[in-house]
Amino acid sequence: MTEEYEVFLGCAIPNRFNNYESSMRTVAEALDIKLLDFDGASCCGTVVLKSIDETSWLSLSGRNIALAESRGHDIVTPCNGCYGSLKDTDHVLHEHEEQRNAVNEILKELNLEYKGAARIRHFVEVLYDLRDKIREKIVRPLTGLRIAFHPGCHLLRPSTVTGFDDPELPRKVDELLELTGATSVSWTLKLRCCGSPLLITSEEVATQILREKMESARDAQANCVVTNCPACHTQFDVQAIGLKDSAGESLELPALFVTQILGLAMGLDPEPLGLELNRISLDPIREILGIE
Amino acid sequence: MEDTWGQFKSFEGAKFEALSADFTREVSSLIGGQDLTACFQCAKCSAGCPVSDKVNIQVHELMRMLLFGLEEVLETDMVWLCTTCYTCQERCPQGISITDIIFGLKNMAFKRGIRPKGYVVARQGLFDTGRLYEPTDWEREDLELDDVPEFDINDIQKMFKKTGLLELEEKEDA
Repeated sequence: MTEEYEVFLGCAIPNRFNNYESSMRTVAEALDIKLLDFDGASCCGTVVLKSIDETSWLSLSGRNIALAESRGHDIVTPCNGCYGSLKDTDHVLHEHEEQRNAVNEILKELNLEYKGAARIRHFVEVLYDLRDKIREKIVRPLTGLRIAFHPGCHLLRPSTVTGFDDPELPRKVDELLELTGATSVSWTLKLRCCGSPLLITSEEVATQILREKMESARDAQANCVVTNCPACHTQFDVQAIGLKDSAGESLELPALFVTQILGLAMGLDPEPLGLELNRISLDPIREILGIE
Repeated sequence: MEDTWGQFKSFEGAKFEALSADFTREVSSLIGGQDLTACFQCAKCSAGCPVSDKVNIQVHELMRMLLFGLEEVLETDMVWLCTTCYTCQERCPQGISITDIIFGLKNMAFKRGIRPKGYVVARQGLFDTGRLYEPTDWEREDLELDDVPEFDINDIQKMFKKTGLLELEEKEDA
């Protein structure tokens, strides 16, 4: 059975993690997931616009949902920020009549209406449903890979809105990653925010949080970090460049996307997985990943 | 304002002239705000907060300030240093939507001009382009990705003119 979704890319992926989109599309094709273009998609608004003005955020985000809804499609996104924003909007508009009426009044001018029929999913939710199919397709085990998996906040919390996994002991994406023969290590600060939303307010505080995260990953003897979000990835694969602990030791670890890990283990063409665009050197784990 | 955000740094020596019932009422009308009185100060929110050790006023203190009608809360570093991770909200034994309340406080602070500069820049960018960041075309070409789907910026601006996004600031004489 082919699954079909309009794919909501958001702003961060086309801006700096085109390897995430490309690897997502490659894995989707191998699993027979059909990704349709999301015509008319703007920014989701994310926590940035929600912090500035609730009504503007609900309108911008509600417009995106209403667009997919008008075409009778469900939505999938590979970004935690977009996922959180769209799910949260869907939740607020569903629960609060006052806000729903206000947004629909604004959307009316664009000949759109939010009714709440479109299902909103994260790409890893779709992958988790297909775990048996993925298991069958693993041809290149990633034995020896010790992954510090960072689920990110808005995939899990608030659980009353996302409803994806146990918010205190998530296992679903770890299960996917371990299908490849890799180990998803237990690390103390796994559920801690990456700090990325603070880059706009205080890079210094954002970096303090990142440093704590990376020290925790090192303590757990991870040899890479894996994410399913471009905002979190900005911390781990951009802000972490040159990051050191208080003793001057490097805290850099190779950072990969879930879809790159799965794509490699499924033996898919490495070219569109976009590994040459990962900024922190993959050299320490090149052999395990089976890439040159 | 560079290393930590917010002007209100400590309760020490602070004198509060009046407790504003109007302010508490205003906060009560925010999403999640109706549950303010359910907070019994267990501080579980602050225990799980990633910035508890990086702010001067912690989440549970912020919650109490709201109940006491202390408008100074909008100037605390906790408001804009909240990462929006939702850990406090997830763990609150009283089921208070704490993170959502903080979002409401950010809206209130923004209107009063208490806000990091980055948010003012982001607002203008969202109005002008409908995006926070622009696509990097050469990477997309290298990976043989199609162009990012287009949208009509006029639609976005029509909405934002209606919500008054560019004129949220409270007038002095209001």
